[in-house]
Amino acid sequence: MTALRALLAAELRILARDKTSLTFTFFFPLLFILIFGAMMGGMGSAEGSRLGLVVQGGGGERLRDVIAEVRGLRTTEYTTSPALEADVAAGDVDFGLMWDGTILTTVVDVRRAQENSAYKELARGIASRFELAVQGREPLVAVEQVVEGGGGNADWLTRVVPGIVAFSVLSAGLFAVAGHITSMKRRRLLDRFIVTPMRPASLVAAVVASRLVVVFASTLITLWVAILVFRVELHVDWLRYVVSVAAATIGSMGMGTLIALVVRQPSSAANLANVLSMVMMFVSGIYFPVEIMPGFLRAISAATPLQYMADAMRYATGVVDMSPARFWAINAALLGLGVVLLPVLSRYLVRAERR
Amino acid sequence: MRSILSVARAQLATALRERITLFWFLAFPLFLLTLLALIFSNVGTEVDEMTFDVTLVNLDRPVAGTADFSAGIVEVFRRLGEPRGEGQDPLFALHVPEQGADVPAYVESELAALRVGNRAAVVLIPEGFSASVARAALAPEENATSKLVVHTSAGRTSSDLVVSILDQVFVSVDREILTKLGLFDSSRALVLEERGVGSQGGGFRYVDFLLPGIVIMGFFTAGLFSVPGTILFGREQRILRAYWVTPLNVPRYFAGFALGHLGLCVLQFACVVLLGRFAFGARVDLLRPLPLLYLILAVVTFLALGFLVAALARTANAGMAIANIANMPMMFLGGLFFPIGELPVALRAVMLANPVTYLADGLRASTGTGAGVLPTAATIAVPVAWIALCIVVAVFRLRWDVER
Repeated sequence: MTALRALLAAELRILARDKTSLTFTFFFPLLFILIFGAMMGGMGSAEGSRLGLVVQGGGGERLRDVIAEVRGLRTTEYTTSPALEADVAAGDVDFGLMWDGTILTTVVDVRRAQENSAYKELARGIASRFELAVQGREPLVAVEQVVEGGGGNADWLTRVVPGIVAFSVLSAGLFAVAGHITSMKRRRLLDRFIVTPMRPASLVAAVVASRLVVVFASTLITLWVAILVFRVELHVDWLRYVVSVAAATIGSMGMGTLIALVVRQPSSAANLANVLSMVMMFVSGIYFPVEIMPGFLRAISAATPLQYMADAMRYATGVVDMSPARFWAINAALLGLGVVLLPVLSRYLVRAERR
Repeated sequence: MRSILSVARAQLATALRERITLFWFLAFPLFLLTLLALIFSNVGTEVDEMTFDVTLVNLDRPVAGTADFSAGIVEVFRRLGEPRGEGQDPLFALHVPEQGADVPAYVESELAALRVGNRAAVVLIPEGFSASVARAALAPEENATSKLVVHTSAGRTSSDLVVSILDQVFVSVDREILTKLGLFDSSRALVLEERGVGSQGGGFRYVDFLLPGIVIMGFFTAGLFSVPGTILFGREQRILRAYWVTPLNVPRYFAGFALGHLGLCVLQFACVVLLGRFAFGARVDLLRPLPLLYLILAVVTFLALGFLVAALARTANAGMAIANIANMPMMFLGGLFFPIGELPVALRAVMLANPVTYLADGLRASTGTGAGVLPTAATIAVPVAWIALCIVVAVFRLRWDVER
């Protein structure tokens, strides 16, 4: 127990002195949220979207009335089409509508590939209502949408934040082994353990405990910033959150062990971990929904642990619902991965002593 | 000259032998181009190959002899639940209650399935729907509408996509009913058009916007990581010291290093452009004089930036840490993959100080794939200013040997 305490204190001290690790663990998730929150917060919803409007034909009042009914849409009127097109291209308005008395034209910036489907849908809805209004009709059939589960209508950023948290947990866990421990092995620091009464399992336990402390702190700060600064609506179930973070950290350390065992050189472990985590980040539905990916990418995504970690984190933060059995199965699998592989990591440390 | 060429060859060979270098400089840009092109070239059309689990429950039981408007909706859903073509999946995997099923219990179980993501939407046609439609049609002045209830799952993109499809389905159902009742003149239907702006030429596709961004990203990561990596590790492991006992001097080493780096960038550029052109049909022409000027400017700017990092860092690990920290913000705040819209003042300041922003904007404007938001002079002057700053700092701070 004394050995464990001493090792834990040493690990925490090492972490506190390691500016690079601290940057990646604490600063990067925040930076991602700041950048994506500022760039794409509210993406895909009418709320806060900026519409440019040119009316040059009869029936303009009806069109204005229809647009006024769309809640949260900010409208700027232009006198000419070129002025509107220039502002759409410059990003001063998100999309435009031009009515010449016969034709209703939607104007979008072709470069905004990730947002245009939402703007076009908004424009279609306005056009549909306007078409009826022109003939003095109201729609006979209306649709009432009821959102089930989760914390209500989760926008893009609300879905991304738990994914960023899951990714930061994955990185911390992976690099704790395929980075920190493999670096100790490369520098032959582990060889010194052979002459001490400390058991390798104590070192593994100290690394796990120190990472858990850091990961809980960093993820809490990330969630706090997302909620306070960007008003992201999260309804955190703290028990599920603690279980998810702990299982994902331990599971990621298990994956780090696999990487350390697979590569021949300890120094290559961090490189491979870096490559794998980057590929997983892009295909696991953290930034781009898995549903809009082509079939083969969806299959790759289904094979990456990060997708399940992110799903569990979205459930724990109240963004989506999930069957409790699935939630516990994901966490049991991650925990199982760690429980099976961390003893192997202990033996890996001993092997290092004998090199 | 021979010594310069030897250093260039050594630099290129070292980079190509390192698997990790190959991944970041060649595989990663190709991976990112593939991923973003596949995802965003097809936004809006991706539903063509998807199947959504949708439940339809019809609670409407019109009185015999009266109009049955819900039957039309059921028929549309039935058609959407059929295969789209031979060997193809249907758009909707349609779930409906079986004959004699306990409907309230069925609805409850379907809503439970929806909440956990096993359904994309549950659509209810409420009791009295047809009568309500008839009333609304007969007395339009009352503005009474008949509501269909669509339950969706929070936070799931499949639900968002289905809502978009259902909106179009219900609009067409609405028009059909109104037309049948003689309340809508379909010959006076609105003419809808769509116009794309933001590119100078016609026939623009997202991959044409993306490709110059990926090329700049490749040059950026190559400069930011390979220069500090080679110089600082070479210094720490005393490889550079070995050079200094030969007739090779710093200017010649630098010239050879820059030439090797240029070779790496040319290789990277060729791979990215060939993949973009032949795999994704990109038509952007980067080999005209003005785009080439921006490409060369980008190589030089990021090479200089790499030397700035090498000059600021004391150790190789510190150099890589600085590069890693600078990498993501500069990449994402440079508009490489998507245009940048409204930003808070602090992030806008970073964006405006970022050479990536100017090079990406200039390159796109010169190829006609971007509208060119920044002044042309700035797209050249700012990177040149960065080059000058980096050279000054590197000249005064960069140590070429551990003990100098």
